[in-house]
Amino acid sequence: MSATGAVSTVVLACGGGDSASDRDSLARPELLVALGAAAVRDLGRRYREAVPGERDAASLQAAILSSRPWATRMGLRRASVAEQVRGDFVEQRTIVVGGWLLSTTEARQCALYSVLHG
Amino acid sequence: MHTDARTLDNGSTIDGDLCIVGAGAAGISIALEWVGSPRKVVLLEGGGFAFEQVMQNLYRAANVGLSYYPLDAARLHYFGGTTGHWAGFCSTLDPLDFEKRPWVPNSGWPIARADLDRFYARAQHLLDLGPYEYEAAQWMRRDPALVPLPVDSRAVWTKMWQFSPPTRFGTKYRRSIVDAANVHLYTHANVCELIPNESIAAVEAVRVRTLEGGEHQVRARQYVLACGTVQNARLLLASNSRASAGLGNTHDLVGRYFMEHLEMPTGQLVLTGARVPSMTMYAIEFGKTKARGELALSADMQRRHEVLNATVSLTPGALGSEGMSTFQAFPPDSVAGFRAPRRADAAATPEPNDTPRAAAEPTRPRLFDLLTRQEQAPNPDSRVTLGSERDALGMPRVRLDWRLTALDRRSFRGFYEALGRELGRAGLGRVRMHDWVLATESPWPASLGGGWHHMGTARMHTDPTRGVVDASCRVHGLANLYVAGAAVYPTAGCANPTLTLVALSLRLSDHLKQTLS
Repeated sequence: MSATGAVSTVVLACGGGDSASDRDSLARPELLVALGAAAVRDLGRRYREAVPGERDAASLQAAILSSRPWATRMGLRRASVAEQVRGDFVEQRTIVVGGWLLSTTEARQCALYSVLHG
Repeated sequence: MHTDARTLDNGSTIDGDLCIVGAGAAGISIALEWVGSPRKVVLLEGGGFAFEQVMQNLYRAANVGLSYYPLDAARLHYFGGTTGHWAGFCSTLDPLDFEKRPWVPNSGWPIARADLDRFYARAQHLLDLGPYEYEAAQWMRRDPALVPLPVDSRAVWTKMWQFSPPTRFGTKYRRSIVDAANVHLYTHANVCELIPNESIAAVEAVRVRTLEGGEHQVRARQYVLACGTVQNARLLLASNSRASAGLGNTHDLVGRYFMEHLEMPTGQLVLTGARVPSMTMYAIEFGKTKARGELALSADMQRRHEVLNATVSLTPGALGSEGMSTFQAFPPDSVAGFRAPRRADAAATPEPNDTPRAAAEPTRPRLFDLLTRQEQAPNPDSRVTLGSERDALGMPRVRLDWRLTALDRRSFRGFYEALGRELGRAGLGRVRMHDWVLATESPWPASLGGGWHHMGTARMHTDPTRGVVDASCRVHGLANLYVAGAAVYPTAGCANPTLTLVALSLRLSDHLKQTLS
């Protein structure tokens, strides 16, 4: 499986996302393969500067998990981060970071990456 | 038949049935339709058969509005006109382009896209294009490598372009025109005035001058102005001996609504999927590619976001690249290179699928520079007027006041946000916008550019108070004067104008045949 494939199958299961490995998985946006680590770190830093309440790993992880689809949060359905990202685009939960139109979830992923791999 | 007007006795009068002023894509397209007919056609060309700087100087003008390309470099003043350096990009206007759009002031044509389809089909042949097919699926059947991105067509679609060799009308059609017994081509014959009758209800004659001091008249039953968007307006405005505001200008519309296609580097696209899709559909190799696609918003998305029509071309790039606009990439002194003869000039009509591109599949790039091709909103304050300076023939020179609106500006951002959301939803990629796209209130950037596409100074409308020409391209209030070319476009669409202006010229020619029969 490619690196991107691994990213896309990270599953946001009911109550998951608390362990360090979960956190590390969340911190791997699809953009990592496409843009590379340096660009993703830069996007992450820009996001953290722009959103004061989401500057550390815990708050970013919480923000990603709390924005999961309702059915996933209730444990009724499992959803991948990739699905959550696509859902963001459908629902227009987007943000412009460094000129890039990103889903809020993946922007947080970039921020988390910049914290964990800065 | 061909006559160099410099050899005529001074004060000559030439009679004909149809007088066409200008031998570019529009004028030659019409003249070819009349070859072999019993009518005498007089085709007047200001230049000769080749580039002459002294002729180009007649087009020198003042750009008093937004920064614009020098007009004497943007247009060519000799037989064949600007097809002498065009790039050959062809596509049709979209059905929505013809409709009245509430969010686009002064939009709407008095004709529909369906009215042009059969003329588009005929124009394909004149421009050495393939079949009249502009659906991505049609081209994918011809070349399986041409696969459009799998986006939701309700939001984003792949609009097709075809590429002319590019056909140089001056080279390709010279023999047909010169050999035609009933088509009388006069070169170095610059029309300086349209002379109306006393009641200003029809044109009686046109006044022709040569740089050597000769002056002549041409009299015909019908007249067609086909000397380009800027020069058509100039000639109408300068024909003010009896109508002080110029001919066809009772309602102060001639010269207004000048439009360009905004062709500017706008951002980047990165493909994010695990498998990078083939982007052959969107690639171009000049002189070889027969057709390619560009990404566009659907009509529904344009309505929903109230944006102008636009497409975006994709070119493999590097992260952070800003790119250059068309004006920046081609300084005026580089334009001569485009006039160099190409082998393709003499080529027969190409087969659309003779070189499938499937075999050429290099490593697939993920990052693409985005160049937007956006229509300009019709704007009465964007206009061509006459200045006080005169050229060597005594004609007042043009002042071009190119102006854009807030709608032009915010449409860029609206386009990219909608495109970015669809590409994100489809899991295909992400879009990056340049700073100026995001800063919709800031001045236009240095990369402001256009496609050298001049449109709209004699717009078409059924109401004489809102348009210079009617639906048949006849100048309101003048029984026998017509305008051919992109000057009549009420809106510009995002397609390069040549295919449409040739189609409209063929439509006008059919109309004139009925009128003269």
